[in-house]
This record gives sequence, structure tokens and C-alpha cells, in this order.
Amino acid sequence: MPFRLNRRQIITGMAALGAVAGGRNAFAQAPKRIPIPEGEFVPLPIAIPNFVAGTPGDAEVGVGVAQVITNNLKRSGLFAPIDQAAHIERVTNIDVAPQFQSWKQINAQALVTGRMTRQGDGRLKAEFRLWDINTNQQLTGQQYFTSPEYWRRIAHIISDQIYERMTGEKGYFDSRVVFVDETGSKERRVKRLALMDQDGANVRYLTRGSDLVLTPRFSPSTQEITYMEFGQGDPRVYLFNVETGQREIVGNFPGMSFSPRFSPDGQRIIMSLQQGGNSNLFVMDLRSKSTTRLTDTPAIDTSPSYSPDGSRICFESDRGGKPQIYVMPATGGGAQRISFGEGSYSTPVWSPRGDYIAFTKQGGGAFAIGIMKTDGSGERILTSGFHNEGPTFSPNGRVVMFFRDPGGSGGPSLYTVDISGRNELRVPTPGFASDPAWSPLLS
Amino acid sequence: MKIKVDKTVMASVALHVLVLGWVMLSFSTKALEMPPEESVAVDVVSSDQLAKVMAGMKTGKKENPKPLVEKVAEAKPVDDAVGKITEKAPVVTETAAPPQPKIEEKPVEKKPDPPKVVEKPKEEPKQVEKKPDPPKVDPIGDTLKKEEKKPPPKPVQAAKPPEPQKQRIVERHFDQNQIAALLDKRDPSRQATTGDTLNSNAALGTAKGAAADNSATWGSMFQRQVERCWKKPYGGIESQKPEVAFAIRLKRDGTLEGAPVPEGVPATPFLRVYQESALRAIIECQPYKLPAAFYEEWKYFAPVFKEKV
Repeated sequence: MPFRLNRRQIITGMAALGAVAGGRNAFAQAPKRIPIPEGEFVPLPIAIPNFVAGTPGDAEVGVGVAQVITNNLKRSGLFAPIDQAAHIERVTNIDVAPQFQSWKQINAQALVTGRMTRQGDGRLKAEFRLWDINTNQQLTGQQYFTSPEYWRRIAHIISDQIYERMTGEKGYFDSRVVFVDETGSKERRVKRLALMDQDGANVRYLTRGSDLVLTPRFSPSTQEITYMEFGQGDPRVYLFNVETGQREIVGNFPGMSFSPRFSPDGQRIIMSLQQGGNSNLFVMDLRSKSTTRLTDTPAIDTSPSYSPDGSRICFESDRGGKPQIYVMPATGGGAQRISFGEGSYSTPVWSPRGDYIAFTKQGGGAFAIGIMKTDGSGERILTSGFHNEGPTFSPNGRVVMFFRDPGGSGGPSLYTVDISGRNELRVPTPGFASDPAWSPLLS
Repeated sequence: MKIKVDKTVMASVALHVLVLGWVMLSFSTKALEMPPEESVAVDVVSSDQLAKVMAGMKTGKKENPKPLVEKVAEAKPVDDAVGKITEKAPVVTETAAPPQPKIEEKPVEKKPDPPKVVEKPKEEPKQVEKKPDPPKVDPIGDTLKKEEKKPPPKPVQAAKPPEPQKQRIVERHFDQNQIAALLDKRDPSRQATTGDTLNSNAALGTAKGAAADNSATWGSMFQRQVERCWKKPYGGIESQKPEVAFAIRLKRDGTLEGAPVPEGVPATPFLRVYQESALRAIIECQPYKLPAAFYEEWKYFAPVFKEKV
């Protein structure tokens, strides 16, 4: 008699097989999972010995590069560079692995080794390697060629590489800041546009100081600056090319035009135009010079800022009574109020990362710098005091720069603070400084 | 010239020296030790689950042969209890050499259960015969007698279990007539103990039970040690909820047997950095001090590094 299975038997048989297989899986040894939830954030101990000199003449630049990198990483608050005096091993050749044990001994978790070599054609070659001390592995390594006077930029670029590799986020060291340099007595203050590296080095003055300048803003995509200048007559919005030094006026409008800011693609400028007792938002295409009105209210709408994707705009308006922050589509239309705290909110600026809006908050006799999510939730005050104003985000959205005026006979200076509110640091400037604006990454 | 010293001052100085000296010795610093965290196993059971568990126990006993074995284990405590009682009884008789009332007293004091009284009247004559020391107990005896008279009505029915114990002792020595009654009472008491929910619960638990899990103890020890080395990368963005796991094998001395094996490939640069930071911590913090008794449990496990919720 032939051996036959009917459908039901087959199905039950399959099910039994499945059960057996499932059972086997269940019995396979899965390691017990132990949650480790408590780790605290600690600045990462990193060792940055002086870069090796490829030729005898390169020792100085080797020291300089290591110092710039050390300073950058230290100022970020995320790294704790180890004093060179504590180093045990003297790195002389970066092409061989370092003695990991000697770096482990001084509790370094990462090590940067590098070499600067003057080439035959006069250029400078910079090489660096980033080592993980605990796993004895090279995490990254690069080499660059540049003309010798740009050694600081090379140091910033290497800093960004290290920052990105060790934090998982883009760096911001290879960037610049435009600000208003202030000199002279309080009554006869001279205000000039100035440009510097984000660490305060290489200060350049862009205007002579005969006219008052305000609210410089960097283009997010080009090396251009837009700002407001009080010349003869009404204040005007200007465009300034950092590379060429060319300056042009943006449009010619009746009444005041102020608080300009670039669109993310750098092709448009959004600003306020005053007409009578109120002001409204307009956007101007830099190529066609065509102007579009975005708001039409009997209130004061000002300080517009684009979201990084260019789809929305946040701005300040007193249409509800006190100045508050509103968000609306980039094409205009229904605006939604997002700030609801005590006091008034002004100078909103959208993070390049898109997650936060920074603002100046006035209330209770103090000016505070804060951030909130783009729907208005999660408001966090980063610093507060007599006068803090004008927040601007670093290119990676991790740090906010602003200016602080302590009052009295002194003047304002620039500060940076992490978006967590930690690590507030003064930025060195030659004189008083206000109204900073951070550039995008240069490279 | 003599300096006068007040005695109280001297005493005060002496005391201060004593106390301070003791403080210096006893408050000296100790090396940081990590005592194992005491863990209490907790099962969360809803009321309806509990009802099912109870039901299951009863049926389980009747149906399954295995529980029977467990019942034997349960029976031990019953035996012990009996033994204790027997031990106590002889002591009572010795000390209680005096007349009837004394013996009655002690049981009353030790075990305030009312039932005893019923039997006592019968026992009294026996004890008197054994050791006739009348003088000590007379006054107390009177009060006891009063007490005895009061309790008898209540306990007669309810107090069966305690009685058998006392009766046994008595039986060995004396009355045979009462033995039958006592035996009858003993049997029901045994049945009650074996029938207790506690016993049946234990049996079922061992039958189902997995291997002992002490991970709460050594896991928290491992956690505290590795966290000291963990320099977490600074995410800052609330939306990121990083979680990375490794499979690690430890030797008996608490060092790594091999490189930790990360679970999965990190999807973002931040996750990669997060994973690397955890890996650094695991490597840097070895050897781990973990209880040797649980080595079989911690020789292979998976630490999961994540953000606190």
C-alpha cells in the first residue's frame, strides 16, 4: 500500500517541524543583556604633541599647528587636551604606530600625531593621524598641501577632522565670524565691520568706520555678507563680497530697510521694509532684483530667518501685543506663533541643522539668549544677564555665539556657549565687539 | 606652687582624647569596595493571573506525579515542627516537676492557643504522679486554674492542631485511652500543612524554574565599573536615542577573553562614535571585579550601552 499523506497531515507535520525549529532557536544561548544607562558625558582626554618637522625649518609651524588644534578642541568643551609636559613618548616618526602603552599611562583616549614638511615648490605639506589608544587603531589620517601662510587654516581643518571623527558630528573650526568692531568712547563710538577666524585670529576690517554699520549676516553658501548701514538718509541694506571687497546696495526702497538675511541658497535676501509706523517682510531675488511682499500687517514684523531647507521663515512680530516669534511658510501666508514664555522674544535665528531656533529674550530686567525647538517646545535659556543679544549658530548648529554688554563704561564682547548651556567662553577680539554672524564652513 | 587641676577638666580631657583617638582609628579611609547589590526577585502578577496560579496549583497536585516528590520536601518542615514540640515538652516536665497547675501554665504561656485546656484536665493527674513538688506554684496555680476554666469552652473544637503535640508527649508516658483521639487530630493537621498553598507553590516553581539569574547582582557591579571608564560622546540632540550592544567573554580573573563583538553596524557617524566610546570603556576598565560564584553567568553576556530614559 502506497504511503500517502493528506493535506491535513502535511500541515500538521510542517507545524511540528516549525515548532521543533523554533524550540531549537529558543534554546540557543543568547547572552544575558546588561543595560549600561548611566554613563556621564566627560570631555575626551586627547594628546596632541607638536607636529614633527619634516625639514629643520618647519619646527615652528609644527608647534603652531598643534597649539591651534589644542585650542580649538579645548574651546569646544568636548575634549580635554593633555598637557604636553605630561607626555611620555616623544613622537619622532608618524609613520609608525605610537607606543600605546605610554599614552594609556597618561589616560589619553586619543592621540594626534602629525608632520609639517616644506616642499620643494614652496608649498607646505601637512599630515596627521588620529589614534585610538584603547583599541590601538588609527581612526583617520589625512594629508594636505597649502601655501605656508595658510597653516592656521590647515590646523582648523585638521581640528574639524578630529572633531568629526570623535563626536560623529560635523566640525565648525574652519569658519569665520563677521562682527561689528567698536572702538572709541561711548559717545563717539566708531563701528566697523570686521572679519576673523572663529577662534579670534586673523582679524580684518571691512569698512572704514565713517558710517554706522549694523546686523552683518553671512551668506550660508557664498563668501558674501549683507548688512545694514546708516549713511546719508535712511539706513540701507548692503551686500559685501569678502573675497573681492566689492560692495553694492540691495535695491532702492522708500523708507528704511533693515535686518537683512540670506536665503539658504544665497540667491535671495529677506528683510524688513518700514512703511509708516509698521514694517513688513519682503524677499528680494538678487539676480532679478524682483521683490516680493511676505507679510502685510499693521504691526512690526522684522528679523526674519530662513529654515535651512528654505521652506519656512521664522521672524519677530508684535502683532500680538509684545514682540514674539512666529513661523510661516517661505512664500508667506498663515504665521504661527511659537513663543509663549514670559517676556518678549526677538532676533530669532534658525539653526543650520534645522532643529532649533535661537532667540534673545527680554524680561524681568534681563536679556537672555535661548533656544527652542522649531515648534516652540523645549525652550532652554543658555545665558542671562544685563544685556545679551544677537545669537548666531556655528555651522554645525552646536554652538551659539552672541554679544554681551556688561553695562557701565565698558563695551560689548563676543561669547560662545554650547547649545546645552555649558562651556560659555569669551571670544578674543581686539576691541569691543557686537553683532556677530558665523560663516558657513569654508571648505 | 602647685597648679590646681579641676577633676572635671581632667575627665573631660581624657574623654576627648579617648573619643578623638577612637575616631582617628575607626574613621580611617577604606579602599572603595563595591558590595554586590542585593537583589530582590519580583514578579508582577495581576489579580486574575494570581487566581489562575492558585487554581493551577490545586489541579497540578492531583494530576501530576512530579509534585509528589516535592511534597516529600515539604513534609520536612512538618517533622521539624513536631520534633521541636517534643523537645520542648520534656523540658517542661522536668522544670515543671511541681503540681498540675505548673504544667498547665507553661503551655499557656508558650503557646497562647486556647485549645490546650480541654486536654489538660485529663493530663493533670499524670503529672502529679510524676513529680510532686507542690510548694512553688500554689499562688500562680490558682490564677492559672481560673484561666483554665475560662478558655475550655472556646478551644474544644477549633484548637485541634496544637493539642496533638502535647498529647504525644503525654501519651508516651501515660494514658492509652486518649491516644486514639489524639491520633485522629494529628492526621488532619498533617493534611492541612501538606495542603497549604505555600508548599504547592514551591513545588510548581522548582518544576518550571530556569537557571538561577543573579544578573541583577553582578550586572550592576559590572555597570558601575564600566561606567567609570565610559566617556560618552556628547550627542546633545534629544531626538537621538543611541543604543549599542556588545557580546563579551570574560575570564575568571575579570579580563576580556577576546575583543568585544559589537552587535550590528552603526547606522550613523554618531552611533559609530557612540559604539567606539563604549568599546573603549569596556577595554579600559578591565579587569572587572565580579563575584566568582556567578562566573558561569557572567563569563558571556551582552552589555547594552544606551541613554538614560
